[in-house]
Amino acid sequence: MTRFRTRLRTYFGVLAITLIALGAASAWAQKVGGTVTMAVTEEPDTLDPQKTATAITGTILRYIGDTLVTKDLNGQYTPGLAQSWSASSDGLTWTFKLKPGIKFQDGTPVDAAAVKASFERALSPDTKSPIAGSLFAAISDIKVIDPLTLAITLSKPFSVFLDNLTDPRAAIVDVAAAKAEGDQFGRKPILTGPWMVSEWRSGDRIILKRNPEYDWGPSYAHQGAPYIDSLVFRIMPESATQVAAFEAGEVQVLSTVPPANVQQLQGESGVTLDKFLRKGVGLFMEFNITKAPFNDIHVREALNYAVNKQAVVQVALKGLGVPAYGILPPSIWGYWDGIQQYAPHYDPEKAKSILEQDGWTMQNGKFMKGGQPLSFTLYTAPIDTWTASAQVVQSMLKDVGVTMNIQTFEFGTLLSKLKAAEDQAHFMGYTYTSPDIVYLWFDSANNTTGLDLSHIVSPELDSLIAQSRTETDNAARLDTYKRIQQFVSDQALWVPIWTNYNYIGVRDSVVDAKVHPEGYLSLLDAYVK
Amino acid sequence: MVQFLLKRLLAAIPVALGVSILAFSMSHLTPGDPVTIMLGARATASDIARLRHELGLDQPLPVQYWNYLTNALHGDLGTSIRSGQPVTKEIAARIGSTAELTGAAMLIAILVGVTLGTLAAVSRSAIAETIIMAFALVGISMPTFWSGLLFIMLFSLTLRWLPVTGPGVAGLVLPAVTLALPAAAVLARMTRSSLLEVLGQDYIRTARSKGVTSASVTLKHGLRNAFIPVLTIVGLQFGGLMAGSVIVESVFARPGIGRFAVDAILARDFPQIQGIVLLAGLVYVAINTIIDLLYGLLDPRIQVA
Repeated sequence: MTRFRTRLRTYFGVLAITLIALGAASAWAQKVGGTVTMAVTEEPDTLDPQKTATAITGTILRYIGDTLVTKDLNGQYTPGLAQSWSASSDGLTWTFKLKPGIKFQDGTPVDAAAVKASFERALSPDTKSPIAGSLFAAISDIKVIDPLTLAITLSKPFSVFLDNLTDPRAAIVDVAAAKAEGDQFGRKPILTGPWMVSEWRSGDRIILKRNPEYDWGPSYAHQGAPYIDSLVFRIMPESATQVAAFEAGEVQVLSTVPPANVQQLQGESGVTLDKFLRKGVGLFMEFNITKAPFNDIHVREALNYAVNKQAVVQVALKGLGVPAYGILPPSIWGYWDGIQQYAPHYDPEKAKSILEQDGWTMQNGKFMKGGQPLSFTLYTAPIDTWTASAQVVQSMLKDVGVTMNIQTFEFGTLLSKLKAAEDQAHFMGYTYTSPDIVYLWFDSANNTTGLDLSHIVSPELDSLIAQSRTETDNAARLDTYKRIQQFVSDQALWVPIWTNYNYIGVRDSVVDAKVHPEGYLSLLDAYVK
Repeated sequence: MVQFLLKRLLAAIPVALGVSILAFSMSHLTPGDPVTIMLGARATASDIARLRHELGLDQPLPVQYWNYLTNALHGDLGTSIRSGQPVTKEIAARIGSTAELTGAAMLIAILVGVTLGTLAAVSRSAIAETIIMAFALVGISMPTFWSGLLFIMLFSLTLRWLPVTGPGVAGLVLPAVTLALPAAAVLARMTRSSLLEVLGQDYIRTARSKGVTSASVTLKHGLRNAFIPVLTIVGLQFGGLMAGSVIVESVFARPGIGRFAVDAILARDFPQIQGIVLLAGLVYVAINTIIDLLYGLLDPRIQVA
């Protein structure tokens, strides 16, 4: 009897487990399938992570590629293809242990040797890698310890290294396939991601298919293959068309909602808008400190008191952003929240008194010195929000007796003029993943050829930047970034103006899509209703 | 006829050469360096120099042009700087879409333009004439960017008759009509004035006095003769349609040559810009050669020998 009961219990137990499993399987099966179409503005140059120079490829790589280390939905480092990693005490050697069972999309297993080959391809001069190569530039040696363990040695301590590994362009590439495919690899790369490229119709769309083998995804999503069967990136250069196609339901995801349409779409049913703060300062006025009048720090300081950032946000961004006070936004690690108190605030009287102490005199509402009025030409690009901001700033400066002329150039032309220091001051904005943007923007190594567009050459700033790049202790690094933010504010190299929110629109037919803090829509758990 | 064709083809050679020189020098005169765009902000001076050398951009311009020309004659328009794919392949992938769009637009423009122009010319009612001519004025003055978006709002979002974008005939209607509108307006005005002039001729009066029906007079005697200046405008409008496709393809997100040209220019992709301008020039020459041949068919007095 007892034995019978036990057996009965076992039967029921097995039955229950089977039912639960069946239920789970059918829930899973119900989610699998469907197509999600996303509107994107640009067509990628290539989808080869190591050869691309366009931002849109970075976005698409989020869906087709995997990196050793990645970031979770809170922006913290989390295992990607590597299940764990550690750094030596001198910060020079990084050891990565790979998750077992990873396969490239053509079925080839991914081992330490394959990862090593991928890094080496990015670093090879033959690859002519515009971005990936520089992400790995600090690597001096890569050793395969065992089939799943890899040791990477850096030529010098480089604190940004781990962050660079999370860049989508650091995705691990199937080098054997790349060799076999040659130039065509960029049209249909073989990586390890949850979706794989199925077809690229030039100028029209890129179609991704679900990778059924995928079960090495990050821990913030369910384990196993994604649900959505096919992801389509529709290339639509006009934002008005994107919005219309989104409203008509022809596309389900609008990766960038134009600021002018945010309010309208927020009120629409069947649509959800998610926002995230841009990873970068959206607009700042930057001074060319090698030219008058901005070779005079007092003039730069005065302008910092003359601009009412909040008003610019209201007018130019319709309130869809926050005023900027420093060179890093709150959305980038390393941001010092004390900058908001530290930096100058709108105070037109103070602006005037700084100029008066600097020897300028007000005549007929304009500041003059040595018979010359305080006037300059601002170089800017034809971006709606910049143009609107320029006009608002122009009138604010006029109120304190400063004349600002506005000259607009196509972006590429603008950049080459700024590098050549032809301007007096300009508008600029940036987007970047890490605080290492300070190296690109302020290190003297990037004067004239790079993005040191204020043309500051300061040994003190250079050494702070060098420190920020080599320190391995995070608390010390944060302190160094704080000092860099203070330094640029003290030197008044910029008038930081605003950082905008970016909006991603998702139609309600797509369930469980999540905005990743890196600024893209994570679809690992998403399914189509 | 054959001789005429040969002559025209020979005459097309200096035109094509001129177009190629123009295309080549235009893209080199615009500011902005493709290599720095390609390599990004983090590139070192030596990276830039190396790539410039590999792309042949460090050679003197005449040498670069000569290399370009000899390769082009072998069907090789170079490799796109941006995508690394052969330019001929990139163009081939998009030419069909543009041909479809401009072809459909030309057809609509001729049908609508000539019909409306004829109606305006023969209409005895001043109101009908005013309405048709007002349509022509609106058609000419409305920028395609604007009319395209209006059509999307009306037909795709409000009425939901047609998709905003998409392949197939349904997706072709709105862009083709948008692109055809200004050309149809020009053709309507041209047809009207040309037909009015012809209808005042002696032979029309003769035909009428013979008792030929009014419709037959207008269509057979009138329109056929009035069509010669209209045909000239059709050829010229074709250039307008190609230029218009730049905007229409962007508005309707069509994968065509026009939009491709914009992308190429923004990316400073010299080989692509040259390839597209060369192609556009040659197509224009070809279309106008065909128009010249059609003159002879319409009017036997025009000798094409």
